[in-house]
Amino acid sequence: MASSILIKNEARLGLKMVAPAIGIIGLLVIYPILFNIYLSFFDVQLNGTKTFVGLDNYSDLLGNPRYYHSIGVSVIYLLGTVIGTTVLGLAAAVLMNQEFHFRNIARGLILLPYFAPVISVVFGWQFIFDPVNGIYNHVVVDVLHLTDTRENLIGNPDSALFVVILFDIWKHFPIAYLLLLAKLQSVPKDLYEAAAIDGQNAWGRFWHVTLPELKFVIATVVLLRIIWNLNRFEDVYLLAPNVETLPIFTYYQAFAGIVDQGGAAAISVIQLLVLVGLIWLYVRKVLKW
Amino acid sequence: MSSVILRNVNKSYGNLPIVKNLNLEVKDGEFVVLVGPSGCGKSTTLRMVAGLEDITQGDIQIGDRAINDLPPHKRNIAMVFQNYALYPHMSVRENIVFGLKKSGADAQTIKRKLADVSEMLKLDDYLDRKPADLSGGQRQRVAMGRALARDADVYLFDEPLSNLDAKLRHHMRTEIARIQHQYNMTAIYVTHDQIEAMTLGDRVVVMRDGVVEQVGTPMEIYLQPTNTFVATFIGSPAMNLFEAKIEGEDLVFDKYRIPASKIANVDMHNLASHETVLVGIRPDFFEDSALSLKRSPSDNLFEFNDIEVDLVENLGFDKEIMFKLGGEDAKARLDLRSHVQRQENISLSVDLNRVLLFDTSPQGMLINAGEV
Ligand SMILES: Nc1ncnc2c1ncn2[C@@H]1O[C@H](COP(=O)(O)OP(=O)(O)OP(=O)(O)O)[C@@H](O)[C@H]1O
Ligand SMILES: [Mg+2]
Repeated sequence: MASSILIKNEARLGLKMVAPAIGIIGLLVIYPILFNIYLSFFDVQLNGTKTFVGLDNYSDLLGNPRYYHSIGVSVIYLLGTVIGTTVLGLAAAVLMNQEFHFRNIARGLILLPYFAPVISVVFGWQFIFDPVNGIYNHVVVDVLHLTDTRENLIGNPDSALFVVILFDIWKHFPIAYLLLLAKLQSVPKDLYEAAAIDGQNAWGRFWHVTLPELKFVIATVVLLRIIWNLNRFEDVYLLAPNVETLPIFTYYQAFAGIVDQGGAAAISVIQLLVLVGLIWLYVRKVLKW
Repeated sequence: MSSVILRNVNKSYGNLPIVKNLNLEVKDGEFVVLVGPSGCGKSTTLRMVAGLEDITQGDIQIGDRAINDLPPHKRNIAMVFQNYALYPHMSVRENIVFGLKKSGADAQTIKRKLADVSEMLKLDDYLDRKPADLSGGQRQRVAMGRALARDADVYLFDEPLSNLDAKLRHHMRTEIARIQHQYNMTAIYVTHDQIEAMTLGDRVVVMRDGVVEQVGTPMEIYLQPTNTFVATFIGSPAMNLFEAKIEGEDLVFDKYRIPASKIANVDMHNLASHETVLVGIRPDFFEDSALSLKRSPSDNLFEFNDIEVDLVENLGFDKEIMFKLGGEDAKARLDLRSHVQRQENISLSVDLNRVLLFDTSPQGMLINAGEV
């Protein structure tokens, strides 16, 4: 068949074009991963001396309650941020797909949080939740009189987790919005018309036309967000270093207090395995790609 | 079922008027066919009835309620879109029953309707496919099925058979006619197909540039077109028009003198107020004089002698010939038994009861209007 010949030709050309990239990626990605696996079987001293310890790093880790705690924190963080950015991004995309004045300006403005450098916006957020001068406590305590006590939301690790989630949603929903809007604009208008004729109101049209049309983009957004946020470090660490997600725990393990590079390597090996497994499951079972 | 009334309906995009002062009453159970050249506003009119376009000015009423401000999902209308608009993520089956389900039909009804529709539209083998895996004609049938499965007050069809082959089109046409008679559906049906317009319509609406030129039964439109636009738009090949001078009681063009008094419905007094008229003769109304078919003394025939044939096209069941009359190109459709040859001199006869006269104003209005 002509089409399958074409597809084969394209595949061959594609292979030639990506070959150099595969080489570079191999060096930059595969080597560190392999080295990491290697390290995870050693006790590494600051001066560089390594002692082979077998699976000790792994058994230490699995016996460490802080490790399980950080897994729990990461799960909440992932659930909150992935759902939050996707839903908010979807809402923004649907809104920005309507016709209104200054739509183009609004479309651009929404992207701002995504462009803003983490380091500068983090301080803004810390200021918002400052227990003494922050606007959050001012509004909650002085204006709305919801409580009498000023809270240090970021100081307390439990509430800080939610501030961190909120921050991530605010900072990263624009990327979800951007991807979803691009797809939304290509949904044929007549599908909405047909659904309206078939008796569907706005909500029904969203449910039966918009969502099915966006299905794969939503799935892609979710996948990307999971991958990015499982490894997210700087946003969390800069805003609330007391929120111990997996990457933060790994960092403390490797570079703070008792330096334990071998232990940290073990964490990342486990994390890599989990991530690969998760993505495989998601792609095969959820997306059915 | 419900009637549909459009009162002084106008539609503009910006300053550009698209539909101008349209008035139309579709009675309960009536099948109205909308025809007109491409871009004349047929789809726009349907879409206003459906609620997909807002009305710039005027009123639309379905049954006895005004629906100007009623959103489409509350109008209980079924529609076949010109470009199908099937739901790509749903199977053919799901596409067909989607609206039916929404309307709250029970499982039994849904099953029965699906079976009816898929049998009628010959879709049985495709029910589990997605629209992307269908041919254009198959998609069009699904779109049709989606509308026919519904139990709507009004059915709107936008060229629903345009993509089917001749045989399937004929089958569907008769099916539509059958359903129409069985369920008495109120329908507005847009088509470019003359045969569909003539056979399906209780009444035909001819539009041009957003204006209704004529509304009438198919026979009225065919035999008594109100102006030259309708006369030449309906009927294929188009009606021949010859400009003739009025000399006393005769219409004169080329070497022919037609006694005006023998043409049906001519008011001689009125005719005298014109200097020239357009004589309209449908190609179908010419006969090969050599055949002398069905001729009797009471026939009101006029002979065009000495006509040179430019071209003969055999269509199987009849033949079309082209010739010159008064310097104009003209066409006639002759009986299969005619033996006319190219470049032969023949004479053609015309039943004067079928000859139409139009004035020479830009509108070209019919002069000899009468009973059909
Ligand atoms: N959104 C729009 N803005 C401006 N003009 C439009 C718009 N939609 C349609 N038109 C114009 O309105 C006119 C009528 O269009 P419509 O689709 O009703 O034609 P139609 O009679 O259905 O033609 P066809 O037989 O080709 O389907 C056309 O001239 C078209 O260019
Ligand atoms: Mg159209």
